This record gives sequence, structure tokens and C-alpha cells, in this order.
Amino acid sequence: MTVATSSWEKRGPVRRNAGFTAVLILAIFWLAPIAILAMNAFKTPNEFLMTSSLVPPTGIGPLFANLQHAWMKGLSGGFLNSITYGVAGSVLAVGLSSLAAYGIVRLKIPGGLFWFLLIYSGTIFPFQMYLIPLFNAYLSTGLYDTKLGMIAFYIAICIPFCTFVMRGFFLTVPWQIQEAALVDGANSWEIFWRIMFPMARAPIILLVLIQFTWIWNDLLFGLVLSKSEDVRPVMVALVGMQGVYGAQDGPSVIAATLICSAPTLILFLALQRYFVRGLTLGVGAK
Amino acid sequence: MARPRVAAATQTDRIWKVVLPYLYVLPAAAFVAAFLLYPMVVTVGQAFTHWDGITEPVFVGLQNFSDLFSDAHFIVSLKNTLIWTVAAVILPVSLGLFLALALNAVRWSSFFKSIIYLPATISAAAVGILFTFVFAYDNGALNAIVNAVGIHSQRWLFDAPINTFSMIAAYTWQSTGLNLMLFLVGLQGLPTEPIEAAKLDGCTGFRLVWRIIVPMMMPFVVIATLLAVINGFKVFDLIWVMTQGGPGRSSETLAVTMYREGFILFNQGYSAAIAVIIALAALLFSYFYLRSVLDQEKQI
Repeated sequence: MTVATSSWEKRGPVRRNAGFTAVLILAIFWLAPIAILAMNAFKTPNEFLMTSSLVPPTGIGPLFANLQHAWMKGLSGGFLNSITYGVAGSVLAVGLSSLAAYGIVRLKIPGGLFWFLLIYSGTIFPFQMYLIPLFNAYLSTGLYDTKLGMIAFYIAICIPFCTFVMRGFFLTVPWQIQEAALVDGANSWEIFWRIMFPMARAPIILLVLIQFTWIWNDLLFGLVLSKSEDVRPVMVALVGMQGVYGAQDGPSVIAATLICSAPTLILFLALQRYFVRGLTLGVGAK
Repeated sequence: MARPRVAAATQTDRIWKVVLPYLYVLPAAAFVAAFLLYPMVVTVGQAFTHWDGITEPVFVGLQNFSDLFSDAHFIVSLKNTLIWTVAAVILPVSLGLFLALALNAVRWSSFFKSIIYLPATISAAAVGILFTFVFAYDNGALNAIVNAVGIHSQRWLFDAPINTFSMIAAYTWQSTGLNLMLFLVGLQGLPTEPIEAAKLDGCTGFRLVWRIIVPMMMPFVVIATLLAVINGFKVFDLIWVMTQGGPGRSSETLAVTMYREGFILFNQGYSAAIAVIIALAALLFSYFYLRSVLDQEKQI
């Protein structure tokens, strides 16, 4: 870390060890729930019912049966649906937001601040404010319980934050680049697609990641806007499994939870550095 | 397809120039207007009606709002929301600040950082399910530990108010990482001169952290606190997965009460009124939050 670091690490070994011990204890607290539950994913349903969660499993064989159970008994559909929603929703939202931010900042649409606030206002209010009318409108337009309806909503909910970030990015691009391209005879679309878009690669990748993760983790809108197994997203499928199998087949539900958490966990571990930078981008996201 | 730059722009060119920016902005604006803003306006209107979602809504003025405060379920829900908001601020924010300060001076800090942040990457629904097993009565991990030290099993999720505190523990486990990261970002941006000066004056170790660093971090503490209030106010997924607000609606918060009234009991007007109350509270804190973020940006 930076210079500030060196400033208070010069202290006695006793104090430093006290700090280390405190952090270590907290880290154990943080890992324990995951470790204990991962261990229980190795048990057969019967073994799970008969023994305490702290007793280690007798073998590793049941894990594969549990994973297979979790996948076959309801998770597979939701998993694939959510990959579609996550990819389509995040990519389209970031694309539309980039266009909007470009129109507001670089093409100087009249009343730019109004248009920005109009789009950004979508993220200021809590979700409870749109649930009921959205549900009613989806019922009456036939969007309810359709994949199209889910994707359309996820695009909409991701746009405000993406526009916020992309607007911030386009504000930093020097105007000379745009003027030089204009002199060379490029039109606005060419400037956007050939010059601005490639320049914005870093924030765009970051936004796609953040929004994919958000869509993947969503439960509330999946509950409200879908019901069938063909349409519901992965978290709704997971919670449904807990309701049905939670009591007699705990290990499969735990295995299902691990499967559902794997994609975002892997994304985070692979791209940690970008996620941390993302926090400095727009402190807080949604 | 470079357009030839003719001296006098034609009529169509001029119209094109006016229309063009709208082609870029309108698609995104249309999505937000149709899926977010329109429903929001309708919710405000519905809050003044009685409506079961099927027959015609009846305008009742402010009756939903006055009914709320004589509704025992709502009062319990409001109380739980206050507990949630206070605890969701105190625990994750103070733990996050402590960890950020400690990790700056400790070995393996990036390893610890990853561990604490890990739960923030998985969904609240998954966290809820994991902790349902941890808090399970029969063979749950927590009761096994508690039994080992000679205390008998507790009903962690089935008695109020202990179930609210159990869920807050799960929430703390998930949300401390975000606060930790916020504070680490803040620490990196601190000016070094005052710290160096204090060190020259013989102020080191714990005294340096408490007297110099923590006060300099206050703007970030304010930001993290307001963000925690806004988020704590809206918790839904975790509660829905762990207790569904039960038993007997004893652990509901406003977000859960709103969902139950709207989608299970079909009191849509009443539910909309609760949504408006949540929104007003969130707006109030969002205003303070945005103001302190902007102040902070001005200083950098």
C-alpha cells in the first residue's frame, strides 16, 4: 500500500501481534460458516440428519451424488436462464448506457442535465417503489413469466448506474480527439464506435462484471416477475429447492448453494483488482 | 462512409443534426421511463387507494397511511426495521473500519482482505440458506458449538427477537467486506503530511491511529454509515429466505411487510403506502449520502 502505510507500522512486536491475532480470529469467524457447510455437502442425506454439522463426513463419494441431485432437481434450468439474463442484460444495458452517455456528454443534447437526471433517477428509489405496478403491467401485457420480460427488466434496472459511470468516463476524454476525427470526416457514429468505445474498454468490462453479478444474485424481481421453471432465475430456483428439499435432503441444498455461488465467486477471485477499482468508481453502486 | 463536407449544409443535414443526439439518448431513457419511472408514479397514486388487484381501485385519501399506524403488524415491522438499521450500521461499519486500520499494519493483509470480502460476492439468498443451516435447531453448527460448552440448544430462527439478531449476524458476515474496501480506499487517499508531522512529534502506534488517522477518516465513516442505513433499510432477500418474516410476522421489516401485503394478501393500495414510506426514508438518507460524497469529491 502507499506511503500512509509505513507511518504506523513502526511499533512494538507485541502490539503488532495483538492486531494480527484479532484479524486472524475474525478471519476464522468469516471462514467457519463456509467451511462447515462445504464439509456437510460431502454427507449423504441420512448421515446429515443423524449427525451434528460439526462431525466430519465419512467419505467424499456423496458429494457427487449431491451435486447431481442439486443440478437435476431444479437448479439446471434456473442456472442456464440466469446466464442468459446476466449476459444479455448486462451487455445490452452497458451498450445502451454508453450510447446515452455519449449523446449527453459528447453530442451535447439540449437539456443534457435533465436527460441524465431522468435516467439516473431510476436508481435513487428503493425497489419496493416499482414492484406492484410492474407486476400488474407485466400481467396485462403478457410479459409476465417470459424470458423476454426478464431480460427487458434487467436491462432497465442496470441502465441508471451504467449511465452514471459512462458519463463520468466520457467527461474525461479530451475534446481534441473528437475534433480531429471530425476534421477527418468521421460522423458521430464512427467516432463513438471506432474511437470512444475502444477507449472505454476498462470501465465497460468492469460494468459488465458488476451488472452480471447483480443480475445473477437477484431474488426479488425473479420472485415477482416469473413463476415457471422455464423462466425463473437461478436464485428463485435455489430458494424453491430449499423449500422443497431443505428438511429431508440438506446436503443437496447445500451443494446447490455452492453451485449458485461459484460463478460470482470465481469472477471475483479472477478479477479482484478490477472489483476493488470499481468501488472507487461510483462509491456504492446499487 | 465519410460525408463530403459541403460548404452550405442542406436542410436535411440541419434536421439530422438536431435529431441525432436523441437517437443516442432515447433508447436508454425509454427503458428507464417504462420499467422504472412509470411504475414508480403509479405506486404513488395507488398509495391513496384501496385495491385488491382485481376490482376497481377506490380512492381513500390518506386512510392507508393513518391505518398503518394502528396496525400492530406494521408497528412490529417498523420496530424491527429500526433494529436492523441501527445494527446494520454499527456492526459492519465498525468492523470494517477496525479491519481496514488493522490490515494496514499486519502480515498477509491481501489474504485476509479476500476472506472478509468473499461473502460480499455471493447472493443474499445464498447467504440466507447457508445461515439457515448454521442456525438450524436440530443439527445446526451453532447449536452443536453451544452444546459443546454446556448450553442447551436455542431456537435461533424461531423466537422473536432473537431471530432478528441471528439474521443481522448473517448480514454482518456478508456486508463487512464492502465497508472494509471502502475504508481501504479512503486510507489510500489520506494526505501523508499530517501523519509524518505527528510522527515527528512522537505520536506513533495506537495513539497515531486514534488521534490522527481516525479523525481524518471521518468523511468516509459518514459515507459508509449513510450507505449502510440506506441498505439496511431495504433488506429483503435475506429475511425472506431465512424466516419469511415469521414466525407469525414477528421478524418482518418494512420491505417484507410491503411484499407480503402486496403479493400474498393482495392489499395493493396498502402495500403501495408502505413502499412510499420506505422510499421517503431512503430518499432522505440518500440526499445526505450524495451530499457527503460530493463534498468528498470536491476535496480530492
